[in-house]
Amino acid sequence: MSSTPVATTSSTLLELDAISVRFGGLAALTDVSFSVNPGEIVGLIGPNGAGKTTAFNVACGFVEPTEGSVRLPKSGLTNPQPSQLARAGVARTLQGVGLFENCTVLENVMAGAQSRPGGRFWTSLLGLPHGQKELKAEALSVLDRLGVADYAAQMPTAIPYGIAKRVAVARALIARPSLLLLDEPASGLDEAELDAFAELIRGLRSEMGVLLVEHNMDFVMPLVDRLVVLSFGKVIATGTPSEVRQNPAVIEAYLGVDE
Amino acid sequence: MSGTFKRLAWVLGGLVAAIAVASIQSGTDAANLTKAGAYCIALVGLSFLTGWSGQISIGNSGFMLVGGYSAAFWTLHHPGEPVAISMIVAIAVSAFVGLIIGMPATRLRGPYLAGMTLAFAVALPYVPQSFAVSTLGGSQGLTITPLSAPQWFFNLFDTNNTLPVVINSRFTAMVSVVIAALVLWLMSNLFTSKTGRAMRLVRDNDVAAELVGLHLGRTRAQAFVLTAALSGLAGALLVMVSGTASPSTYEFGFTFSIALLTLMVLGGIGSLSGAIIAALLGVYSLQITTWITDHTGLGPDSWVSAKLPNLAPNMENILFGILLIVTMIFAPRGIVGLATGLRQKLISVTRR
Amino acid sequence: MIANILTNRIVNDIAGGTAQGVIIGLVALCLVLVWRATRVLNFAQGPMAMFVTYIGMTQMDHHANFWVAAAISVAVGFIFSALTEIVIVKPLYHKAEINPIVVMVGMFTLLEAVASAVWTNIPRYPTAPFSSINFQSEGNPTGLSPLSTFQIGAALAIMTLVAILFNYTSLGLKLRASALAPEVSKLLGIRVGRLLTLGWGIAGAVGAVAGVVISLNPGGLAPNMLDAMFILGFIAAAIGGLDSPLGALVSGIVIGVVMQLINDYWNSNYADMVAVVLLVVVLMLRPQGIFTKNSTRRV
Repeated sequence: MSSTPVATTSSTLLELDAISVRFGGLAALTDVSFSVNPGEIVGLIGPNGAGKTTAFNVACGFVEPTEGSVRLPKSGLTNPQPSQLARAGVARTLQGVGLFENCTVLENVMAGAQSRPGGRFWTSLLGLPHGQKELKAEALSVLDRLGVADYAAQMPTAIPYGIAKRVAVARALIARPSLLLLDEPASGLDEAELDAFAELIRGLRSEMGVLLVEHNMDFVMPLVDRLVVLSFGKVIATGTPSEVRQNPAVIEAYLGVDE
Repeated sequence: MSGTFKRLAWVLGGLVAAIAVASIQSGTDAANLTKAGAYCIALVGLSFLTGWSGQISIGNSGFMLVGGYSAAFWTLHHPGEPVAISMIVAIAVSAFVGLIIGMPATRLRGPYLAGMTLAFAVALPYVPQSFAVSTLGGSQGLTITPLSAPQWFFNLFDTNNTLPVVINSRFTAMVSVVIAALVLWLMSNLFTSKTGRAMRLVRDNDVAAELVGLHLGRTRAQAFVLTAALSGLAGALLVMVSGTASPSTYEFGFTFSIALLTLMVLGGIGSLSGAIIAALLGVYSLQITTWITDHTGLGPDSWVSAKLPNLAPNMENILFGILLIVTMIFAPRGIVGLATGLRQKLISVTRR
Repeated sequence: MIANILTNRIVNDIAGGTAQGVIIGLVALCLVLVWRATRVLNFAQGPMAMFVTYIGMTQMDHHANFWVAAAISVAVGFIFSALTEIVIVKPLYHKAEINPIVVMVGMFTLLEAVASAVWTNIPRYPTAPFSSINFQSEGNPTGLSPLSTFQIGAALAIMTLVAILFNYTSLGLKLRASALAPEVSKLLGIRVGRLLTLGWGIAGAVGAVAGVVISLNPGGLAPNMLDAMFILGFIAAAIGGLDSPLGALVSGIVIGVVMQLINDYWNSNYADMVAVVLLVVVLMLRPQGIFTKNSTRRV
């Protein structure tokens, strides 16, 4: 590993450092800082319009911070571009399912390994083998692990929503990420599916750190190790779910919206 | 791996068939086949760009012009060198121009891209006409010695008193078909490879494609360079056979860009076999039109033609215009799509 | 002193270039109207305008006067464009981006071929009620003629009408609403489908005005008369940002003047190329054009 310009003593996976984002005159995020460590499940929550999605998109490089920086200490990247994430060991799922609609489920999962070396232009053009057979087998085994191998040959538009969400996770997992970002994993799932999905995420903890954006509290609270609560673009609380639950600022933020 | 062999066998089979055709048909058909080979190469390039990387170009005639002129220029200044080198030069130069045009193109959405490439194709013929007239020949263009059959080829065919011109056309037809077959084989590899998949991912969902590590601009530019290179090769092939590259060459004008788009859609966007069908359709469009008008009572002797004497020369475009609109609305996957649909229907009927 | 300015070569070029530029802007405006309403770039805009111009202007052969013929062109332009939207464009909404492009390219081929079949390729020269001889100032020609003054006036009048319609009438508000937020508009009880058709109709009428005005140019009325103008109109619209009517007009005038100067001082063959180079440079720097706001990507 090359030496990193970022001075970090811990093995932090992702660090948002004093991020501010302004769209025109509108402050979407103000001085937001948090980090994700290996083996940790972190939930990013907050009332609607609190800036959860913006914070998430800043972490992925889709939104450029006006101030502050995003760091991936393991790969030494600062403010990474979205297309650099995969190589830096970061995988992300999208809101909804975000699959490639005109590719089969199997191809969707194989796509997750697109950033691996090999199979460049000339190899492809001349039809030389570039590990696609092995990759196919690997993709099938990941699908199998998530219990959806039966759907491998189907098109994403033809499979149930819950299955498609699992396929999206499979696509993220085949890249063997050290950090997994989940964008609203619970949305659109029914009770049974939610439990199974929570179990699945918990099972990943040994291999990677997980950051998820979610507004379904029943799903988040029992799942995560740590919460970051946003309100009006600011971090108003961090801590374990039980700590956060008793934080008066958090209660006020949520009640304020309910009124 | 077996897939690769299957495709190879398929392409080889077509190759053998085409060569057989080239050696028995008339000189005109051989000349048409030569053109069809070049058209096929250009169509595969466009089909790849549109069908696989989801970009559109109405400017490929411009790249054909670049390729054609490059080949002619190189041949003029390096007489006696192998034809293949001229072709490779043409591919390299047009790929480079494709990169320059592709750089802004990769940041543009469909309509902007279509308009920009069209503007490029419209403006490009003015370049050799107005700039460097002494080196590019102005409106006269460049003239080179056309590709001619070697002695062994004449010896091979001289048994039944065939005209030398016809034998020569057969030779160029074969050269053209072999190059087209090679291109088809390479592109069929690409279609199923990791690089080909990258194009489809970017087309399907650009956000997700970035997240699996693809650089959108680079991937799109790659497709653009490839389509430019193939168009350039097609243009070079046409010039090597005809011996002239001029601003008024039909295939170098923007109307041919429109014709390519039309043919590609009719054949089937993104399909290799569609490109073959489309190429033949393009070469024989006049004959097909005549056949249709003769059999629908719209021919030169009909009452419509008596009233509109200028109808006959425009019939081809009227027909293709209507076909293009109807195809896009009712059968967006073209002839190949219709054939696949029909086959699946037949299979499901017989299984019952 | 004033006479010197009026007959100065550069001033003349600017005046003549503005006359052509306003027309380019008018063609660009048609593209912008259709784009704003339905997110379709109408590649058949040129041939559609050409076609309806023929239908109107050929009435002059049957003793209709110029104004009646022009009015017929505009009315037919409205109807034809609205029908086109209903019959061949409507089925393509919510399809892949390239589908409407391809269909309009088909329309392009079809209309030019039909026009050539019916009216032949020999240009016609509708007689304008205005002289094309430039105004004189102390015996020297200025850059404008009664005809070009009429052309500028007609183009600007139409643009003003469109601006008033869109910005100051309730119909204009509905038109904008159904283009920008069709779902919300539907909930508000606006009949979005009809308004999109109306948007195409208006663009068709504006296109017919452009066609009539251009048919008075020295090139006359011919099946391919709007091909070059369409390209320039597209370049103007794209530089302006496809969404901005004002951008279309301003870039149209800039292109017209620049081309006139190149024509006069350099070589007419270079003029078209310079327009394309301008487009490539602008799109490289600002892919969304100059006059539109930067839009953020949705993730």
